[in-house]
Amino acid sequence: MEETKPAAAEKAPDEGEILMDVQNVSMAFNRYEVGVNSLKELVVRAFKRNLKKNKFECLKQVGFSIRKGEAVALIGRNGAGKSTLLKIVSGILKPSGGSVVCNGRITPLLRLGAGFDGNATGLENIYLNAAILGYTKREIDEKLPDILGFAELGDFINSPIKTYSSGMMARLGFSIAVNMESEILLIDEILAVGDIAFNKKCYQKLDELRAKGLTFLIVSHSESVKRYCTRAIWLDKGVVREDGNIDEVFTHYKKMMTNE
Amino acid sequence: MQTIKYDRTRELRQRAFLLSMLVRRNIKNQYYRSFIGVLWTVLNPLLNMLVMAFVFSMIFGRQGMEIDYSVYILSGNIIFGVMRSSTSGSLPCLVNQRDMLQKTKVSIALFPTANVLSSLVTFGFSFIALIIVMFVRWLAGAYTFCWETLLILTTLPALTLFSLGISYFLSTLYVFFRDIKHIYSVILTLWTYLTPLFYTVSALKNPAVSKFMVFNPMFHYVETFRDMLAGRIPTGVEYLFCYGFAFLSLAIGWLFLRAVKNKIAAQL
Repeated sequence: MEETKPAAAEKAPDEGEILMDVQNVSMAFNRYEVGVNSLKELVVRAFKRNLKKNKFECLKQVGFSIRKGEAVALIGRNGAGKSTLLKIVSGILKPSGGSVVCNGRITPLLRLGAGFDGNATGLENIYLNAAILGYTKREIDEKLPDILGFAELGDFINSPIKTYSSGMMARLGFSIAVNMESEILLIDEILAVGDIAFNKKCYQKLDELRAKGLTFLIVSHSESVKRYCTRAIWLDKGVVREDGNIDEVFTHYKKMMTNE
Repeated sequence: MQTIKYDRTRELRQRAFLLSMLVRRNIKNQYYRSFIGVLWTVLNPLLNMLVMAFVFSMIFGRQGMEIDYSVYILSGNIIFGVMRSSTSGSLPCLVNQRDMLQKTKVSIALFPTANVLSSLVTFGFSFIALIIVMFVRWLAGAYTFCWETLLILTTLPALTLFSLGISYFLSTLYVFFRDIKHIYSVILTLWTYLTPLFYTVSALKNPAVSKFMVFNPMFHYVETFRDMLAGRIPTGVEYLFCYGFAFLSLAIGWLFLRAVKNKIAAQL
């Protein structure tokens, strides 16, 4: 496995500027015991005095920092707060305590193809999607040949997205996310996109980005992340259980999982 | 790797770009399925007007009407239409963008804003319909064009801000309470009938109604527009009402959006 690792990953992790600094992040959700999402329900429950809220704390005092060029895996069982942490890090959710400082542009690679507009053509969706990700028209124009070349959709690029297969949709989504200029790539689960050939291409692209010195933060359950990551953070019930070399952390993690 | 500068002008330009894309998408989607496309934006208010003019001219007659009845109905409807289409379009817009909003950090206010702006574009098309009707009535000698019509540009911003405020408020509220949709459609129907779109306030001959009408913001937008069509310049007080309601609505909508902004992504 060591041989497959791109060269940049070998760089010592304790040099280079800190790109992302997460300090004492806590996240608590106010949850009604039964979900209230209509006004009717709220009124009825208010009358019945059945509006018990309980605070559900899904992250407790989480802290770590990631330096430029590092590739970090975020592991932990379901419901440990990994996805919430990713959302907080990318600024979608605001933590209820603590702070996140991020000195770079983040490309989230979560749920590919989500947020596409079915009636619009592939080309229109490239612009729309990239604009939502925070890029200007000029930046998208520049990258357009790369995106089109990578997605390999041919003439389909001018047909409405709703005529695409789910694999094609994911290809387009991946292609947009991966070809735009950014410093940090957030990946939720190593992706199984499209057919084998395209899958291989995706992994090659990720290797290439790693070699360019892009910072990765990958949420995963499988050991395949060892291909990219040298460091792992183990999140357990909202706290950082272990943070260090990926092999060690994975060994402990697996031990705990099999023991229960 | 070069670091990307996060300066203010770039951010503003980026937002303007995104906004224009969203508006374009809205307009495209609105008429995507229809065979005649954009032409429908002109035809739709025309056909509506024809039906209403036919039905209601029998009931309400023409008492106290300064302008031709067909112009009266159409002008009221397209002004009300700006508010109606922008607010009812905005209501589900955040929930519909759920995937995007949970995936990326994007300014949520852009989505309702795009809806309001696309309603303005639709208004532009409907205005063509109005001009057609005005022209036909002018040929029949029932209407005279006057330059004051152009003053619509002075109250249109007020209407836009008013719709924007409601749109902010509703789109955010809908994230938390999904039954707002049904409640709002009832409110909207009521509002349509409470606004003198096809009747005149004076024809109702009820002093209480005229007093109450002052509190209906849409009444002011509709009436000032008709004043202009009839060749009168709205008074300062009328402008005050238009912009007063506009800023009040915008303030409420904006403050509400800001207050719950951080809870939206978690609720979607």
